[in-house]
Amino acid sequence: MIIKLERIEVQSRQGMEMIDITPQVEQAVAASGVHNGLVLAMTAHTSSGLLVTEGIECLERDVLAHLERLAPKEPPAGTFGYWHNRYLDYDGRLGFNAGDHLKSILGGVNCFFPIENGKVVRGSRQKVYFVEYDGPLARTVFIQVLGEAA
Amino acid sequence: MLQRGIDFHTHPLLVREMVARHPELERAARETFYIGNNFQPLESFLLELDIAGLEKAVLLPIDATSSRNTTVYTNEQIAELCAMSPRLVGFASVDPHDPEAPEKLREAVTKLGLRGLKLAPAMQQFYADDRTLYPLYEAARELGIPILFHSGMSWEPGSRLQYGQPMQFENVAADFPDLPIVLAHLAWPWITDAVALALKYPNLHLDTSALYFDNPRDFLRYAMTQTVPLTVFERSLRKQIVFGSNYPRVEIKNMAAAVRGLGFSEPCLDLIFRENAQRLLGGRR
Repeated sequence: MIIKLERIEVQSRQGMEMIDITPQVEQAVAASGVHNGLVLAMTAHTSSGLLVTEGIECLERDVLAHLERLAPKEPPAGTFGYWHNRYLDYDGRLGFNAGDHLKSILGGVNCFFPIENGKVVRGSRQKVYFVEYDGPLARTVFIQVLGEAA
Repeated sequence: MLQRGIDFHTHPLLVREMVARHPELERAARETFYIGNNFQPLESFLLELDIAGLEKAVLLPIDATSSRNTTVYTNEQIAELCAMSPRLVGFASVDPHDPEAPEKLREAVTKLGLRGLKLAPAMQQFYADDRTLYPLYEAARELGIPILFHSGMSWEPGSRLQYGQPMQFENVAADFPDLPIVLAHLAWPWITDAVALALKYPNLHLDTSALYFDNPRDFLRYAMTQTVPLTVFERSLRKQIVFGSNYPRVEIKNMAAAVRGLGFSEPCLDLIFRENAQRLLGGRR
């Protein structure tokens, strides 16, 4: 049984952005020596996400636009204003990115794929995206590969 | 987005390259400045400026040797960081309790190329109108550099708010009419006092880096349209307001969007984001 954990850094360049990390996930699998098993990927941050969708720009725009619609950056007025808008003594600053945290929950923070014969098994249109909701920041993604050697 | 303008109030506490070179900066960030965010490559800082549509950032250190036995960046470290990017403008800090402070300021400006003085009365524990500091202010005046004073509220544990009350700065503004002074954070919660001083003393400026509850949009709307009408800033103080974010306590992009959303005219926004800061930085003799 092989269990390997890799940490990759992703530099986002926009406030909100989808970054294709499929090559990095496949590279981690190739480097692991696992022949049959499973690969898991997870963002280390609560204002970013990981999700799987078709790798085309129009869908990237739709994903970001509708997550913003559901959990807007600027707090809605009234009942749905954000409780997170307050001073966080452990951070030395105010929390005003509740919308970004909520997007992370809605879009998800992890994904997994089977590994067969040393290759990631994924649908022909599926891409793995790191999703930035509060960039630009250097972010960490955990990739863990588990399985049997050849 | 077109990149023009200056963020007049940033603290480079999270720059990973500098923490790697100077490990004591991690303690300065966590235990003195009291910020909990992850360290980031310098590139993240510059990208923050990019997406806020700004070209440059003023970097502020704090020399708290007497009061806290530490510095939050030395002048040399600020100069070292500025050498990494032409988009960074370094200010100096000196220990106000040090009799050699005026000479150290002269060295920081003439030898290290720093372009202003940052003082933080609450963290450095001094009253701005203490006459023993007048030689320091005279040195800044002679050098033609601005002094940016932390004013108003201070988050750091152990910092007393009384040092940041705006009236502590009146004698300085009155006794040094040729010395450009910037009161940071709109001196909140004493914003009306700070506005009164700015109305009376044309050498006194205010920066926008104020956020003490809610979020940048709602806080600035409260401070700059409700507590004091926006027309006061637009009509009377348009040449005395500079954009500041207080990064990393507030992301530059968020504060810039909040200021742009207040309702200022485009010419006034150009003064706030660009021209006033350029004028303050351009007086070096």
